[in-house]
Amino acid sequence: MKSMKKVVGPEYNLSEKIKTNVYAVGVAMQESVYPHTMTVFYPRERKKMPDNYRGFILFDPDKCISCFNCSFVCPANAIRMKEAPNKRYYPTVDYGRCIFCHFCIDSCSGGALKATKIHDVAYKDMDEMFTPTEEMIELPEIIREDKKYVEYEIEEDDLHLKRTKGEDYLFVEVPPPIQIPMVSQCIDRANCIGCRVCEEMCESGAISSSVENGMLRMKIDTDKCTGCGLCVKECSMQILMLKKLERK
Amino acid sequence: MATAIAIGESEWEVAVPEKPLKDKTYFENLKAKVIDTNLCSRCLTCASVCPGGITVVDNIVDFPDYETKCLDCGACVRVCPRFVYEPKSGLGDYIEFIAGRSKRFAGQDGAMVTELLVSAIEMGMIDRGLFAGRDEKWATEMFHVREPEQLAITTLGGTKYTFADVLPALKEAVMFTKRGVGIVGTPCIVSGVRKLQQEYPIFRERVKLVVGLFCTENFHYDDISAYLQNKGVDFSKLIKTDITMGKFVATMTDSEVKFKVKALEEILPSGCNVCTDFTAVESDASVGSVGSAAGFSTVAVREENAKKVIDFIKEKGYADFGEADTSQLDFLIGHKKKREENIKGD
Repeated sequence: MKSMKKVVGPEYNLSEKIKTNVYAVGVAMQESVYPHTMTVFYPRERKKMPDNYRGFILFDPDKCISCFNCSFVCPANAIRMKEAPNKRYYPTVDYGRCIFCHFCIDSCSGGALKATKIHDVAYKDMDEMFTPTEEMIELPEIIREDKKYVEYEIEEDDLHLKRTKGEDYLFVEVPPPIQIPMVSQCIDRANCIGCRVCEEMCESGAISSSVENGMLRMKIDTDKCTGCGLCVKECSMQILMLKKLERK
Repeated sequence: MATAIAIGESEWEVAVPEKPLKDKTYFENLKAKVIDTNLCSRCLTCASVCPGGITVVDNIVDFPDYETKCLDCGACVRVCPRFVYEPKSGLGDYIEFIAGRSKRFAGQDGAMVTELLVSAIEMGMIDRGLFAGRDEKWATEMFHVREPEQLAITTLGGTKYTFADVLPALKEAVMFTKRGVGIVGTPCIVSGVRKLQQEYPIFRERVKLVVGLFCTENFHYDDISAYLQNKGVDFSKLIKTDITMGKFVATMTDSEVKFKVKALEEILPSGCNVCTDFTAVESDASVGSVGSAAGFSTVAVREENAKKVIDFIKEKGYADFGEADTSQLDFLIGHKKKREENIKGD
């Protein structure tokens, strides 16, 4: 059986005792004058957010193709598509439901949704948390009392936290998604019912139709097709498919 | 820069059906020729392919806002079995004419419709069967049956004598299926399926088994439920409805209501009034109660695929088989043949 070792405190002689006590008083005085705290004096100071921070979502209607991907992918059902005056459907976000997963931004095929580092938007009630499209285009009004962000870094030698200051930019610059050029193609011509929904849906005018001698001729212009997939989604017989475009 | 695509097509052609009324949309043509002339059987073949929104309004097939929403594609007139109506009647061709009683399931008589579809699922011929179930008020709703265990829902078997939205459900089933779909329906629904198969290969490839029902007539849910309630039928206690020996029998847990079928003529839908097909001559196999002993279903096996299923049932011993008598059907076949005179010529 192993005998337990008794823990014995260090034994100091008188000169050492005086030395350590003086050191302790010195540290206390130093901390009272220039403290080593990690406190951020919000809102006068703002912590620096990482570059992949998921905050308030911004929207650019010019890039939106109304593909509904954001609202389909939203796990919290926070995104609803609402009809805009120009007959297009644009997303609205209910921040009472949003879990800030930013799947919508990842799924956006046109790059119309953008992430920001804004995390402190205040609302008076739940109804106000529903953000219509118009309020997503511009940043919400922020009264920024801070001009500098605060960041703490651990210095290697004495584990002291070093406080650095700088100005934080609230937009997240994410490189545009790598897009494989895709075009809509018919994979099963025999089952086409000729409803021309695809032509009606197409934003870029790539799909055209003409009637000749009792035959309806459908044509997809691969140069104009942007590969948004709207026609694929709307085709009632599911005979359209996005195919990789190979350029020669 | 020249572009080339690996798979798929950028150009294709679709045959456009002819329009009898040249300056009208296809739906207006359908409305003028089938719906307004009371030819429509409410089989909903048109609704199953319509990309716009053909639906049923007040028991009549209709398309709300067709002026703006109709895409004028012509799919509805391509598939409508009565746009160019060729009335069928008689017994039709058959390979085998037998009576059967399922040992596994309880249904209307011998539960042979359930047995045929479930055996086809077990054989691997199809991976889902479309059954018309019902709710507590006896309104029909469609079920996709993929496992025989699902037949534990007792409301799936048995005749309802009300229209069910079989064909709109068929399109969904066809899109999802891996092996094939089995379907059961009245003669008008069978004709609709055949028309769909004739026009669109996807239905030809994926609808593998079409079971037809012997049918004299079918009723709109609103009409028959109001009629039965007047007769004192309590839907919460209703177990089974049946037509035997010219009488409509509604069996409840504690009592029975019987009255002559002829009394139902006042609520007979106009589409049934012009239907001459009693035995579903276009089906793969027709099933009904007439022609066999009580507790048995008569099965007219018409196509090879249904014959295979019947052979499978015989091999596994899932059902008892007996003799069926075709002469017993003659009266009802003749009764429906008489309706030919209700069809107005062009």
